Amino acid sequence: MSESVYGELRAMIGEEQEPVVAVDEVCGQMIRHWCEAMEDANPMYTDEEYARNGRYGGIIAPPQMIWAWSLPPLWPAEAQSRGQRKLLETCARGGYDQVIDTDVELEFLAPLRPGDRMTATAKVTGVSEEKRTGLGKGHFIVVEMAYRNQREELVCIQRMTLLIYKARGEDDPQ
Amino acid sequence: MTHSSLYWEDVSEGEALPVLVKEVTATTIIAGAIATRDFYPLHHDFRFAQKAGLKDIIMNNITTGGYLGRYLTDWSGPEGDIKRMKFHLGMPCHPGDTFTVTGRVTRKYEQAGQHLVDIQYEVAVNMGDHCTGTATMVLPVRPAE
Repeated sequence: MSESVYGELRAMIGEEQEPVVAVDEVCGQMIRHWCEAMEDANPMYTDEEYARNGRYGGIIAPPQMIWAWSLPPLWPAEAQSRGQRKLLETCARGGYDQVIDTDVELEFLAPLRPGDRMTATAKVTGVSEEKRTGLGKGHFIVVEMAYRNQREELVCIQRMTLLIYKARGEDDPQ
Repeated sequence: MTHSSLYWEDVSEGEALPVLVKEVTATTIIAGAIATRDFYPLHHDFRFAQKAGLKDIIMNNITTGGYLGRYLTDWSGPEGDIKRMKFHLGMPCHPGDTFTVTGRVTRKYEQAGQHLVDIQYEVAVNMGDHCTGTATMVLPVRPAE
């Protein structure tokens, strides 16, 4: 069963997944909530007056916040359609029901401004054979996400390596 | 309130960035998960985390990325821009950990009209290396007198 899932995962390489339109526009409130959680006092993100006189002419979101606009809302369930759904469903069918990120690369190409709405398109670019890890047996999967704003400008390219695994049970001692 | 920023001319290869230390609580992790819109249960549900083979909930990677970005611009000041970040995730960050970020400038150069620095950093938590990585930043140049 696991072998056939590996084949299915390999077959997904290079195939663009369904684009996901962010449920929220970039906005000052979400930026402030982010800065509050990260204790980030950069005035370019939250001080309108400072930012207005700066190189962007207004506040921008922390570039690393791009990631937050690709995640599905908790509710309603039908809005959870997401670019990685096919990937995660395929993994779950093979019994790999846990997922963690192991490597992240973010390349920032344009600023995120309030009022912008991101669309993220994911593509699997690599799948490893099953490996035994400290967490359990699993596959390493490389996913590339391209984020574009409403003007079709490429804002960020994100490359992530995910480990999808079966949590180690009594039948799979380390 | 005034904010100062570093000029590219004032940075040297090999120079260390100021250390960032954060005492992590469950609130830190959960506030980060909510602000990053990450409702995966590993970042708020203790029982789910234990079932996944972990001793407690773990900081989500978006929050780690958020703290790394803050670490970089705390150093550069608001006129510095992060152009690229790349990191490898190791040991998880749990409530009760001391999250310590250290880093240094590894390269200073000009490319395509931009004044750049490369930075190498690592985040230590109680179990060891949480994260190691690199970043490239664009810094402003000192205005002509």
